Amino acid sequence: MDFNWGLMLSSFGTVFSPGIVLMICVGTTAGIVIGALPGLTATMGVALLVPLTFGRPPLESISMLLGIYCGAMYGGSISAILIRTPGTPAGAATVLDGYPMAQRGEVGRAMTMALFASFFGGLVGALIMTFASPFISSIALEFGPVEYFALAIFGLSVIVSISGRSLIKGAMAAFFGLLIASIGFDPIAGFPRFTFGMMEMMEGPPFIPTLIGLFAVSEVFNEVQKTGQIQRAKANMDRYFPTWADIKASFKTLTRSSVIGTGIGAIPGAGGDIAAFVAYGEAKRSSKTPEKFGTGEINGIAASESANNACSGGAMIPLLSLGVPGDAVTAVLLGAFVIQGLQPGPMLYKEHMDIVYQIFAAMMVAQFAMLFIGTAGIRLFAKVILVERAILTPAIFVLSLVGAYAMRSNIFDVYTTLAFGILGYIMMRYDYPLSPILLALILGPMAESNLRRAMVISGDDPSILVSRPIAVGLMLLAVASLVMSIRGHRKVEARLAALEST
Amino acid sequence: MKVADIVGGVIGILLGAFTYWQSSIMPTDVVMKIGPGFFPSILSGGLILFSILLIVNALKGKSIGTLEPQRLSDKGVQRGLIMLVAAVAFAAVMVPLGFVPTAIIFLTGMMMVMGMRKWVLILIVPALITAGVWAVFEKILHLSLPAGILSDFL
Repeated sequence: MDFNWGLMLSSFGTVFSPGIVLMICVGTTAGIVIGALPGLTATMGVALLVPLTFGRPPLESISMLLGIYCGAMYGGSISAILIRTPGTPAGAATVLDGYPMAQRGEVGRAMTMALFASFFGGLVGALIMTFASPFISSIALEFGPVEYFALAIFGLSVIVSISGRSLIKGAMAAFFGLLIASIGFDPIAGFPRFTFGMMEMMEGPPFIPTLIGLFAVSEVFNEVQKTGQIQRAKANMDRYFPTWADIKASFKTLTRSSVIGTGIGAIPGAGGDIAAFVAYGEAKRSSKTPEKFGTGEINGIAASESANNACSGGAMIPLLSLGVPGDAVTAVLLGAFVIQGLQPGPMLYKEHMDIVYQIFAAMMVAQFAMLFIGTAGIRLFAKVILVERAILTPAIFVLSLVGAYAMRSNIFDVYTTLAFGILGYIMMRYDYPLSPILLALILGPMAESNLRRAMVISGDDPSILVSRPIAVGLMLLAVASLVMSIRGHRKVEARLAALEST
Repeated sequence: MKVADIVGGVIGILLGAFTYWQSSIMPTDVVMKIGPGFFPSILSGGLILFSILLIVNALKGKSIGTLEPQRLSDKGVQRGLIMLVAAVAFAAVMVPLGFVPTAIIFLTGMMMVMGMRKWVLILIVPALITAGVWAVFEKILHLSLPAGILSDFL
């Protein structure tokens, strides 16, 4: 399908009307706030605000929802940096370097880079979505269970690069996480596993409460003990834009991560969280100083934030061209499109070409709105960390439990959050990394269901797993990334040992 | 960290053994060899393998990192335990008592436990935070929080 430049220009004209721009700004602001609040994800934000768009013209409502989507992806980084709690799952990789930077007093540097990376990634994602949409969708169209299984394996191989100091403990955490992910009905036969007869366990551990427990409540337990012993990190909001030196130093990472993020976003099922982790792992692997990652490296923030925002553009590709949502948020967006009488898929390009191009334009405008609103409000957001620990820590706890409860109004989710909070605290104390569990919770069900689907298709012949070129390529990539991470990890260990002995 | 790693490895092995046993008694499909227990049993194997590796490493004296000792007489540990009890109590009474009173009591108590001594803040802040959270969830997001004893007023 040829790109229609004339239509693109006139679509920008349509989107630049005051009403549409206002809706984009309202959506982006709401998105940033929702993203910054732990427990409120982009998915939840879009789902909650869909009812507000009933009765509005399609472009207005979809523009607002796109604004929420993009804003929330960035918003997640604010709490990731300031209070070590990713506001959205996609912000989990930003915690790794964002929080250490904040502790060092480099809040301004971290926050402005997160915003710039989000803007950069979002724009690249939107551009790729606009121009490469037909091409990427034709690849994703070919994907079957074998490719999805290979993709999940590839994602799991990233675990090694985010494992912290002990690879063994990282692997243990990953297998433990995969076991937790297998709780509940099995994906093919529907047999309830490890539920101990509890109804609430049938669907497996609820994702958001588990996430809040592992990353927020565990930190509360940690924080409570430390009071009085540590100095509060200073919110050193000394700038509105990242320095030219920082941009230059991370430009390669930004570009590469944006492309990775868009590509992963275009693959159905893989969302901003995986995009961020893969881009982070890639940036760490290709860095000259990989041992700095996890201790407050500006490239770490650049990688994860540009990737998760680029992912939004990528996730829109299969949604628009195939009618298959690229991640959870686009799944909700799919519903919003249908409410508006638009059925995403190949027919949308034929019947509503104008809408498709207006969505492209709105997506790009949303990135600029995010940059503008984010810059204007950056001091406001940084104030969070100035609050006294004695107030902030109990408040985070209340917010965490309420966020866990509010999703389904179910007290079981609150207990899940508490249980994972205690587990997370114990694991942190004994140096078991928490991120592999998160990754396993996302990729485990994907790996298992597609493996078993592939086996059903082949009649239990495992050779089907190496029968598809894309799948073989992904598995080779997984092996290569594992080998390279292990070698890289040895190097880091040697350097750390040398540092300790001097 | 050596002892901690050995304990962690033993826990990992026990957990892996338990999940392996559970997986092995899951029903197998007559048609398909791969049933519900297939994937978890592989995972259990992986967990056991790496747990053994962790113990072997620890016995060889290759454990990484050091561990700060924790004693019950330590103020921080005491605060942690109080937090744990308060957290469980919060979850237990939130539904019957209602979110607003539970949160105000919890916030006031925890602020004092964490060393807040400014009485004006102790009196005002918990109510403000609770009201803010309640307003956002109930009024803006329309997610219902347990009303409890205040159900006639809220």
